Amino acid sequence: MKYAPAILVGRLTRIAARLRKPGGGSAVPGLVVNTIAPGYLRTTLSGFPHGLVVVSGSSGKSTTTKMLVAILRAHGESVFTNPSTANISQGLTSALLEQADWRGRVPGDVAVLEMDEGHGARVMEGVDARIVTLTNVMVDQIDRFHDSDMVAGMLAKIAARAHGSVVVNADDAYLERIAAGLGDGVAIRRFGVAPEVLAAAPRGLGHTETSPERLDRSAGVVVASVDGASAVLADAGRDLAIGLPARGTHYAVDAAAAYSTARAVLGEQFDPEVAARALSSIPAVFGRGERVSVRGQEVDFVLVQNPASYQLNVDSIAPGTEQILFAIGSDVRDPSYFWPTDASSLGRVSIVSGSKADEAALMLAYDGVGIDRVEHDLGRALDDFLAAPAPATGVKTIVFTADAMRRTRTHLGLTGAE
Amino acid sequence: MTLTIVSLLPSLQNTNGDAENAAVLASRARWAGLDVRVVPVEVPEDLPERVDAVVLGSGSDSSLERSREVLLGLHDELRRWGTEGVPILAVGTGWELLSWGIELADGRSIEGLGILAGRAVPREGRAAGDLVVKASGGLGLLVGFENHARDYVGAEASPVGRILAGSGNGRGSGQEGVRMGDVIGTHLHGPVLAKNPQLADAMLARACERAGLEYTPGERTHEVDRYADAARTQQLRTAGVAASAT
Repeated sequence: MKYAPAILVGRLTRIAARLRKPGGGSAVPGLVVNTIAPGYLRTTLSGFPHGLVVVSGSSGKSTTTKMLVAILRAHGESVFTNPSTANISQGLTSALLEQADWRGRVPGDVAVLEMDEGHGARVMEGVDARIVTLTNVMVDQIDRFHDSDMVAGMLAKIAARAHGSVVVNADDAYLERIAAGLGDGVAIRRFGVAPEVLAAAPRGLGHTETSPERLDRSAGVVVASVDGASAVLADAGRDLAIGLPARGTHYAVDAAAAYSTARAVLGEQFDPEVAARALSSIPAVFGRGERVSVRGQEVDFVLVQNPASYQLNVDSIAPGTEQILFAIGSDVRDPSYFWPTDASSLGRVSIVSGSKADEAALMLAYDGVGIDRVEHDLGRALDDFLAAPAPATGVKTIVFTADAMRRTRTHLGLTGAE
Repeated sequence: MTLTIVSLLPSLQNTNGDAENAAVLASRARWAGLDVRVVPVEVPEDLPERVDAVVLGSGSDSSLERSREVLLGLHDELRRWGTEGVPILAVGTGWELLSWGIELADGRSIEGLGILAGRAVPREGRAAGDLVVKASGGLGLLVGFENHARDYVGAEASPVGRILAGSGNGRGSGQEGVRMGDVIGTHLHGPVLAKNPQLADAMLARACERAGLEYTPGERTHEVDRYADAARTQQLRTAGVAASAT
């Protein structure tokens, strides 16, 4: 009963926000409830019978969260989770309100939350998690996270909220140091890749600092091999073949993270076969190597979020791809941290666009990439790019950052899963 | 005759992509028709016989001690390059390590190599954002980003220039960077040489002069510099500085 009035106000705010902007998911109701009932988020997050699971890290947290939720649901668990865009406090409260009854109670056995590494430490103040899973520490958004030390510090604070287990990527030296600093009584679970998998990634896995040694198969869940969009996970003496939502070693690592975490959540109930089936049925994620038919053209969308995913995704574009649109948006305030990447394999780009088009063009030019045109107006760039005849070979490919992706979706009227 | 550009500690000191400045110098030299190579130096043994230009980037605070250890092994060379006029660009914590020393927020301090005058001192809050500098010595307007946890004192007599936007050396100095001969220390991080072609060309011209070569920017250089020009103009607008403020 305590939160009923605040919930009512939050609901009314949501209706008002929807009237103003139809279809818009808004953080405003969350802001309102957080203001008038500051304890609501904390109390609700701590109230799930099978506890709270938090997934954080520089990269891969959305995919890992989705995979984990799929595995848990396949085991019959009722799961509350947040959309990946709602991974800071207001958004979280708004997401809870979507599901809450009039008293503010949210149905579900277990909550699985993707947590922004920057906001997570504050959101988690006073909240106890049963399990915290950390994906990696990579260079990302240097204007926000000044360096990897800072990111690791924030992740350590989130990890400190776990009272059951902390699940870490053993290939990440920063995360291993965090694990080493945790108190007694908290179980450490690990996942990682086999030496052959690391050796097959010519540029490494993107960690700021890769651990010197690979995880032994007896010490956790190991990605034993990756072949395109399929992989083999080695767990407790058995090999499990799984399908991935797209090509790429990083998806296999996300799957290993989700698998290890699900094992920690479910304990005796965990069934490796059920987990493998659930992982294999994850649909492709928008913008992550997805092929879409738009305006009568086949188009590959490639999302780049940080230098590691930039490099992996650029490398996965077939050399000689004739038509590429490359857009960096306002989410990249300072593109400096992208400079160590190498896009020379692109050869030639048809249009460079986005609000950081000039910075992007400068970077591509120094990678030796030819640029046919710089078009600041992303809408016009998309129109012209799609209006051009289909390439003789390959598929039109659009590479974009998150902000440019959102604008692209809006411009092309594409909806669907985040 | 091959120009040799040394990238110092590219794995420890490349948080913001500063080590790419070596590649920028190499590209511009290549476009000018010169023979050039970049040599990454992670340990003193990697050092090539001939060095024409040096780039040292910024790292995280946890790598300060390790980087200092390695740089100590290059102390004599750094000092010699400085006096001989080898152009050196040192960015962020790389610059701080070449100074007299670094005072950390927790009261500890790290002794620098003493190549550049001045020292890094704690500042309240981090400085992150656009940094625009009206540079002296014919370098015009330098445009880029800064991201640092410390101010810099003791460079008042020989800064790189005066600040038009951003924090720079801080402590009310209104100045940015330190310049001693051909050695430059700056907070401008990332691809500062790509964004500021005039600074890149000044370093290359100096390196070529020492090597007895002629440096004339190539055709491709002019094409690429148009992108730099557009990016500069946009950033100056964001930073609220009129491009004519020279």
